[in-house]
Amino acid sequence: MAGDAAGVVSVDGSREPVWERSISDVNEQILVNLRSPHPSFYVAFVIAVLCLLTGVGFVAAHTIYGLGLWNFAPPSMWAVDITNFVFWVGIGHAGTLISAILFLFRAKWRNSVNRSAEAMTIFAVICAAIFPLIHMGRMWLGAYWALPLPNTNNMWINFRSPLVWDVFAISTYFTVSLLFWYMGLVPDLASIRDRTKGFKRLVYGFMSFGWRGTAKQWHHYEAGYGFLAALATPLVLSVHSIVSWDFAMSIQPGWHTTIFPPYFVAGAILSGCAMVYTLLVPVRYMFRLEQFILKEHLEACIKLTLLTSTIVFYAYAIEFFVAWYSGAPYEWAIFEKRAIGPYAFYFWTMVFCNCIFPLAFWSKSIRNNIPVTFVICVLINVGMWFERYNIIISSLAEDFLPGSWGHYEPGLWEMVITVGSFGLFFTFFLIFCKFFPIVSLSEIKLIMPKPLRGGGKHHH
Amino acid sequence: MTTEPRSANGDLRSDDLREPSAADSANEFPVFQDERTRPITELPGYEVTERGPVIFGPEDGPLEGKAERRVDGPLYVGADEVMPELEPAPAEAGEARKAFDLNLDRRSLLKFFGAGAAAATATGCLRRPVEKIIPYVNQPVDQLPGVPTYYATTCGECSAGCGVVVRTREGRPTKIEGNPEHPISQGGVCSMGQATLQGLYHPERRKQPLAKVGNRQVDASWDDVKEALGSKLAGKKVAIFTGGSTGSRHQFYRDWLKAIGSTEERLYTFEPNALYSTIAAAHKLAYGVEAMPRPDIRQAKLVVGIGSDFLDVGTSPVFMAKSFTAMRTFKNGSMGKIVQFESMLTQTGGRADYRHVIRPGTELLSTMLLVKSLAAQTGAKGSASARAAITKVLEANATALNAGYETVGVPQNVFDSVAAELLAGPSIVMCGGTQSFDQNATQLQLAAIMANELCGAYGSTLFLDKGWMPAPVKVGDLKRFMTDVSAEGGLDAVIFIDTNPAFTVPKSFGLAAAVAKVPVVVSMQSFPNETDLLAGFVLNTHHYLESWGDEQPVVGFWSARQPAIRPTTDSRQAEDVLLWLAAHMKKPMPFSEYRDYLKDRWKAVHAAVDQSVEYNLFFDAVLRRGFVSKLKTQAAPSFADVSASFSLGAAVTGSGTMVLTSPLDHRLHDGRGANKPVLQEVGDAMTRIAWDTWIGINPKKVRDLGFKRNDVLLVESSAGSFRAALYPMPGLHADAVVVHRGNGHDDVTGKISGSNGVDPLVAFARAEDPLTGMPVTAGEVVKLSSTGAVFQLAAYQKHNDIDNRKDIVQKVTVAQAASEEGKTWNMDDVPDLYPALYKDVENRWGMSVDLTKCTGCGACMVACAQENNVSMVGREQILLGREMHWIRLDRYFAGDVDNPQVTVQPMMCQQCSHAPCEAVCPVYATQHDPEGINSMTYNRCIGTRYCANACPYKVRRFNWWTHKWNVIGDRLVDRNPRALNPDVTVRTRGVMEKCNFCFQRVREAKHRAKEMGTKVQDGAVKVACEQTCPTDAIVFGNLLDPASRVTALRKSVNSYMALNGIPGVHPYGIKTLPNVTYVKQISFAEPAGKKKTDAHHG
Repeated sequence: MAGDAAGVVSVDGSREPVWERSISDVNEQILVNLRSPHPSFYVAFVIAVLCLLTGVGFVAAHTIYGLGLWNFAPPSMWAVDITNFVFWVGIGHAGTLISAILFLFRAKWRNSVNRSAEAMTIFAVICAAIFPLIHMGRMWLGAYWALPLPNTNNMWINFRSPLVWDVFAISTYFTVSLLFWYMGLVPDLASIRDRTKGFKRLVYGFMSFGWRGTAKQWHHYEAGYGFLAALATPLVLSVHSIVSWDFAMSIQPGWHTTIFPPYFVAGAILSGCAMVYTLLVPVRYMFRLEQFILKEHLEACIKLTLLTSTIVFYAYAIEFFVAWYSGAPYEWAIFEKRAIGPYAFYFWTMVFCNCIFPLAFWSKSIRNNIPVTFVICVLINVGMWFERYNIIISSLAEDFLPGSWGHYEPGLWEMVITVGSFGLFFTFFLIFCKFFPIVSLSEIKLIMPKPLRGGGKHHH
Repeated sequence: MTTEPRSANGDLRSDDLREPSAADSANEFPVFQDERTRPITELPGYEVTERGPVIFGPEDGPLEGKAERRVDGPLYVGADEVMPELEPAPAEAGEARKAFDLNLDRRSLLKFFGAGAAAATATGCLRRPVEKIIPYVNQPVDQLPGVPTYYATTCGECSAGCGVVVRTREGRPTKIEGNPEHPISQGGVCSMGQATLQGLYHPERRKQPLAKVGNRQVDASWDDVKEALGSKLAGKKVAIFTGGSTGSRHQFYRDWLKAIGSTEERLYTFEPNALYSTIAAAHKLAYGVEAMPRPDIRQAKLVVGIGSDFLDVGTSPVFMAKSFTAMRTFKNGSMGKIVQFESMLTQTGGRADYRHVIRPGTELLSTMLLVKSLAAQTGAKGSASARAAITKVLEANATALNAGYETVGVPQNVFDSVAAELLAGPSIVMCGGTQSFDQNATQLQLAAIMANELCGAYGSTLFLDKGWMPAPVKVGDLKRFMTDVSAEGGLDAVIFIDTNPAFTVPKSFGLAAAVAKVPVVVSMQSFPNETDLLAGFVLNTHHYLESWGDEQPVVGFWSARQPAIRPTTDSRQAEDVLLWLAAHMKKPMPFSEYRDYLKDRWKAVHAAVDQSVEYNLFFDAVLRRGFVSKLKTQAAPSFADVSASFSLGAAVTGSGTMVLTSPLDHRLHDGRGANKPVLQEVGDAMTRIAWDTWIGINPKKVRDLGFKRNDVLLVESSAGSFRAALYPMPGLHADAVVVHRGNGHDDVTGKISGSNGVDPLVAFARAEDPLTGMPVTAGEVVKLSSTGAVFQLAAYQKHNDIDNRKDIVQKVTVAQAASEEGKTWNMDDVPDLYPALYKDVENRWGMSVDLTKCTGCGACMVACAQENNVSMVGREQILLGREMHWIRLDRYFAGDVDNPQVTVQPMMCQQCSHAPCEAVCPVYATQHDPEGINSMTYNRCIGTRYCANACPYKVRRFNWWTHKWNVIGDRLVDRNPRALNPDVTVRTRGVMEKCNFCFQRVREAKHRAKEMGTKVQDGAVKVACEQTCPTDAIVFGNLLDPASRVTALRKSVNSYMALNGIPGVHPYGIKTLPNVTYVKQISFAEPAGKKKTDAHHG
């Protein structure tokens, strides 16, 4: 442990970190990644790039030969493509939640994890945005025909279609998240600029927009950051609600329910928090950030996971109740089949991973047992992927007319593109980890005890 | 057009002869009222006698009055007008000719091949081959680009002789439609007929003749053939072996054989459909007439089928289907009833009200048990002498019959009650089908004659006195041929003309080995087949759409065949080749081409029908209309004592012995349809399996035997064995092993049929029906064993049970339907938040589909595919569910797995008024037009596929690939894009497509109406599936027209919208408000209860 001298939990069990280093020490410790990450970083990076290349290869192949390469088996016209889309959008949720909502609620624990959570959001949304693009029959046209662009034929997009809402929701979310993330980065990039020389200095200087850290700049920065946080907050709720409308607005049994928006948002936060945890644990190790990302921070993240897991558990149950209570035979048939039909494996995996295993988090000792919690968080991610798969496939495969029922199982190419999307995500994330401050320098400095900030000793 | 009320006797003449009015010319297509609402007497070509309607009346003159008077509008065209001369293009001397000239040795043969290859390469570089399509440099007077021309002709796919109309565009046939005035087809076409164009344009048709040099068949030219072949035939014992025909063709062959010095006995005719010869042979025995009676079941109250498949293959499937529709039309509280006894599940059995499963091979026994019950009834009909003769037969077989009920597996009371009902009204017993071609096939027909005598069918539903049907083959020809060809020095030369005995006659007959001994074998085929391999000369002949010819499906009713296109390859009509061979042998016949022979022979028809018209005008008028009739009558023959010739045949195998039955396939027939991808892909009616051969076994038996679906089984008999995958088929007798014929061709037949499926005939030992010599293709005892392999059968339907869902398929009993007959409801009266989208529109297109009538034949699927350029995707894609059919047939089983009730539900785009697909498309690629059609804009589609997910009927199809015209799945084939319909866009990869109510046809009718200043009349738009439907199950029309057929059907309480709830029980359902409605399935039997079939997963 490189940082045992820097931050420790006090003997009396108080969670207050005891800071013994100066501001420049904080810079030193956090920006260690710019110099020498742990060798495991390079192993991870190579694996991620290889995965990415596989995915790129597949996308090239399917662009050339056609969507038939996937294992799509009508009536399941959507399958792993949209599963991955919803999965990644869900992952992208925790970032904004942590950075915006928790910022507005002044939850201090976010300050050590928000930077990486926001980065995760950006990359997850990029991964997500790729799937609607490549799943289209004619992606070379769909990429811009889905946008409201003026054209000589006066052809317009269909504002009744949830897919159009999706285009707006995702692009808005991506834009705001990106601005929010980058704005937070500016003072930190300036810190890096000040510590580098030559070409690097030029690049970081360019990226920090000439930040000088003057009081006036800080004043504008604080106002703008707060404003963006306020702007991003409703997006946390809206994006996944709109994604859920992709399903809920059709009359497909299993999709056409009003519970979908809150259920999807809760699920998204669940998967996002689990993913944040899954990322932070190795990052904390690779870049020796244990003194900044404290166990308390991780535990707070797990508490949020537990909360959303409970909400999701409730949603699963109420979905069944409503399907039964509605008396709609086709609706109930879908739910019956989810539990005991051909896709029961996916359903029960989902239930166990998302609802049963997280129950262990009620125990404080398990919450603080990083290896066990890490495993459970990975399982939650698996479970959330299965949830989307379950919603999409089990509703489509056997719906109204028994004569057109079919059966879908993912094929090789679906695996490849899923692995490819993880490759893309981790490639981006690891590049971020290498070249950007993983923990927000300025915000850590903000919550440092007063003496080190130059004021009196004061516990925030 | 308002149809004038016709006179009570149905006299068409006055109507036909009146001056054409403006209203007439408003519609270039004939306009018809609903066949179901319109009295039968008003159907075209029908006349009324005291007994009721008869298709062919006594005064059958030229059916359109004076021949000078043209049919209003460009109805159908005579080929002569557009193609004055059909001269074959001059052929260059072929390679084989050189080979003959050079008197080749091995070395020079090699040189010659080298030179040929070089020449081929050189020409290949220079230019594409000339396509002999009408050039528009000098535009023909009658041809307007973009405006179709229609030719009436006669279908040549089987021997039934259906009249068809060929739609051509710029000289290219693009669609086959039924000739609505033709009394045989009555506007319908079966799937085989619809697929004709894939045969015409098939890229694997031979481009030139082949001649055998050594052991190798090499390309030759027609000049080579003339010289080399002519000299070999002169003065020899030449024989012709050909398929069935009722027209002049067989007489021509006889004349030719006589002319060249052979004898006319050396014409051998053979059809694998043994019904023709067995029925003819039985009638020869019973009545002294070697012909078939004409069945007329339209007025029948009861049809009893025993092993019959008159709706599947039978003798004339379209004619029978049309009659079936008339019989099954529910009116005045009732309709005709069907009771079927069979060991396998046919479409006919699927349509039956009551179906009894009998042990395979007991069709004859069952019929005799019925005869016994009939004879025991007090009201038995038939003459006293006939009854006496029948009693004699019954007495002679009394012991066997008394023990028969147990063998058959049906109790006596069933036969007794069926017999009582048979006697009650006009009724008929239809016996035998392609499933019952065993040793007793002719005895079965004899038994059928007895049953029909006793129930009084002759004269009421079966006619031998007027309009009887000639058998398209001569009885016993195959046997005669086998004897003659096997005899030492029996035949010097055999010419096979458009027949494939090397495949259709079981291998155990040794036909190939016998033919191999014949010095000269010629195979004249329009498509490569296995018989070509036996031949020294393989001559590529015209497709029937390029040929002249005629058929006489009913005695005194002639149906003409004329070319609809110039030959697409360097082929010749077989008859023309024979004519030139005769000339080359210096024994010319006095005709330069077959058309002259035909015209000469038709002079007799002219004389019989109407001599007041000049002959050429008459001939043209017949070509224009496609047929002419002057029915012959004869005294009704009396039933002879058949007790001497009748026997109950060989003992039936014991219980538990698995016996193999190989019926003809309703799409591929004896294998002639196997080279057409659309037929392979339409799927079998009852199993819904496409592309492969499957073994059908009762599901319970499958469980007992320890097999599973898709297991590859080895079927062994004393004669041979084959392997195929297993399909557990509900409704089969536990002892039955059913493997349809049609697949399992040699690779020489092309890339579609080659290596596809297996031929079950290899397992049949040589056995024949002693009375007709027809090969036995049923009742072979087989042993089944698992090979351990698994083969995925490409079945469209993965789930065969309706799963207790109430508002998809609705069934009522006849009693319920009678209590509600005439009641109406307004199914469009549904509370709605939204105002109507479009106001002041003239048309709202709608469709009604009758579940009582749909047999599942698949003709609609083929018609739709041909009309709308639907791609075929191949087995692998079907397994994934990626078929492209715009209309599909959902077949549901209900009730007992051993004897299920069958419903076939045609499912196409329902054109919902509240379409779930429209709201979700992000780019407006699918939207409503003002007339209620949900249209696709292919160019705009980006392929999100959300519409397909949102569609509750799952009728939207996505182009996962660019369905190239040269690939089907993993089969590289070259489909000819010339068969595409130019009115319909060809879709590329990545776009969604679906049924659009044949929008191009709607538009065409609207254009025409607009030009004439009228509204579109009911019946003026016939969509492709409706047009072809042999049972008239589909009706299309304008829902805003209060007088249209479809409006009347939509109002009936007997109609419902799929998935739109059940009034009072589950109102409105998903409220999509489709413009397609279904008419409930009416049956005499109670609908099967909630019990699921055991085989709901296959």
